[in-house]
Amino acid sequence: MDLKKTHIYEYHAEHGNVIDFGGYAMPVWYDGIQSEHKAVRESCGIFDTCHMGRTWATGPDVERFLNYIVTNNLATLEERGGLYTVMCKPTGGIVDDLILYKINDEKYWVVYNAGNREKDFKWLKKNSKDFKVKLEDVSDTVAMIAVQGPKAIDVMQKITEEKLDEVARFTVADLTISGLKVMAARTGYTGEDGFEIYVPDCSLDKPADALKIWNDLIAAGATPCGLGARDSLRLEAGLWLYGNDIDESINPLEAGLRWTVKLKKPSYFKGQRAIQKMKDDGVQKTLIGIMMDERGIPRHGYPILNMEEEEIGVVTSGGHSPTLGVGIAMAFVPPEYKKKGTELYVQVRKRNLKGKVVKHRPFYDDSVYGWKRDK
Amino acid sequence: MADEYKIDEGVYYTKEHEWAKKLEDGMVAVGVDDYAQSQLHEIVYVELPEMNSEVAQADAAGAVESVKAVSDFYCPVSGKVVAVNEELLDSPDKINTDPYGEGWIAKIEPSNLEADLANLMDAAAYTEYLKTL
Repeated sequence: MDLKKTHIYEYHAEHGNVIDFGGYAMPVWYDGIQSEHKAVRESCGIFDTCHMGRTWATGPDVERFLNYIVTNNLATLEERGGLYTVMCKPTGGIVDDLILYKINDEKYWVVYNAGNREKDFKWLKKNSKDFKVKLEDVSDTVAMIAVQGPKAIDVMQKITEEKLDEVARFTVADLTISGLKVMAARTGYTGEDGFEIYVPDCSLDKPADALKIWNDLIAAGATPCGLGARDSLRLEAGLWLYGNDIDESINPLEAGLRWTVKLKKPSYFKGQRAIQKMKDDGVQKTLIGIMMDERGIPRHGYPILNMEEEEIGVVTSGGHSPTLGVGIAMAFVPPEYKKKGTELYVQVRKRNLKGKVVKHRPFYDDSVYGWKRDK
Repeated sequence: MADEYKIDEGVYYTKEHEWAKKLEDGMVAVGVDDYAQSQLHEIVYVELPEMNSEVAQADAAGAVESVKAVSDFYCPVSGKVVAVNEELLDSPDKINTDPYGEGWIAKIEPSNLEADLANLMDAAAYTEYLKTL
C-alpha cells in the first residue's frame, strides 16, 4: 500500500527515519528520540502534525450542533478561545478527543486525531443532519506544524510579524509567519508552551508554504522532532493518546476526563445519559499514573498487580521518561488503588516490578518543566 | 546495506542479531550486534540474564529496550551464566557505542560449544545474510 505523504514529507525523506504510522509516511526521529525530547523540554522543537484532522464547521446552528456532539460546554467560550473536549457515543464511549476554536458565533475550527480523521468527519457529518451546519474537511489543504518548548515563543517570534506574547494560552490568532498569512493556536501536545500553526491554501501537491515555515523555524533555532519524542513528551505530560488510553470502550469519567463533561449544560448532548448513569453508579476503573521504583520499562498491555500479586489492571501507555530517567505508565485499575503512594507491581516479561501511584498530569514537577514552569 | 554495519571477524552471529565470541579462558562472551543496536537505536534499559542460571541456545535470557521497542535477547550458546555486565544497568548506551566490546551482555561457560557454533554464522556468512534483509 502506498503511504500517504504530508506537506513536510520532502524534509522527512531526506532527514528522518520514516515509518508507516497509520498509513502515513512519518518520521519516528531525525537525530534521536532522547535528544529531540530534550530539545522540547529545554528549548524548542517542531513537529509535522499535517496528518491530524482539521475541519471548518460553519453556519447559524454551529454552536447548537457542537454543543450537542461534544461533552464540554461551548457557552463559556469567547471569540478566539479554544476548548478541549471529547465526543461520545450514546454508550458514553469516547469517539475522539478534540479541540474546538471559536472564530465567531457561526464559525469554528475543529482539530482532531490523525488516526480518526475519516471516522470523526463521518461522525460529525452524520450527526449534523438536523442542524444548519456546513462541515468542510480541510486536512489536506491546510498544513499544520507544532512549535513546542520553553523557547518556542522566542524562536517563532524571529519569523513572525505580530507580538506572540499577546496571544493568550489556548486561544487562536491570525499571524504573519515567514511573510505568510496563517492561523496559530497557543497549545500543543507536549506539556510545554508553544503554538500549532495552520497554513491555509496549502495543498499536498503544492506544499511550498508549509515547507518554507518549517525550514525557517529550523533556521531560527528549532529542532525537528519525530513521532517518538511526540509520544514520550505527551506521556510525561500525562496527556491521553487515543487508541491507547481512551477509545470507544472507555467512558470519560474513567479516563480522568470528568472536567471535560458538563452534565448540567442546558441542552442534551450525545452520551449524556450513559455518562450520568456511570456517575450515579460509580466507575469500576480509573486511569492512574505509575512511576517505577525498580528498574524496568512498563509498556502498553502489561498487567498491573496489587501487593497480593493479583492482577487488577493493565498499562495503557508506558515508557522510559527521558526527563525523569525512570519508567512511567498510565494504567486502568479499580478506584480503590488510585490513592497517591499506593504500591503496585507492573508485570514486565514475567517479572513483577514495584512502582507507585503518582500524580501524572503531568508526571514531572510543573514548577520546573512545562508551560506553567517558574520563569 | 550490509556495509553500513560493523561486523567483527572471529565472532559468531545469529539470525536474530546476537553475537558470541570465544574468550581465552574458555568462556564465551555474548551480546547483541551492531545491526541490532542500530535498529533499536538509543538503548535505555537492559534486562541481564540471571547469574548462575543454565541457558540453552536460543533461550530468551534477557532483553534490550530502546525508547520505542523491546527486543528479547536470545542467548547464542548453551551453558551457565558466569558473568553479567552490570555496567549496562547504568550505561545501557554502551551497547550503542561499542556493541562487541564494552556493550557485552554476559559470559557463558559453554556446555555444548562446537554444536552450538555450527548453528551460527561466521562474519562472512553473516555479511551475506544481512544483504538478504
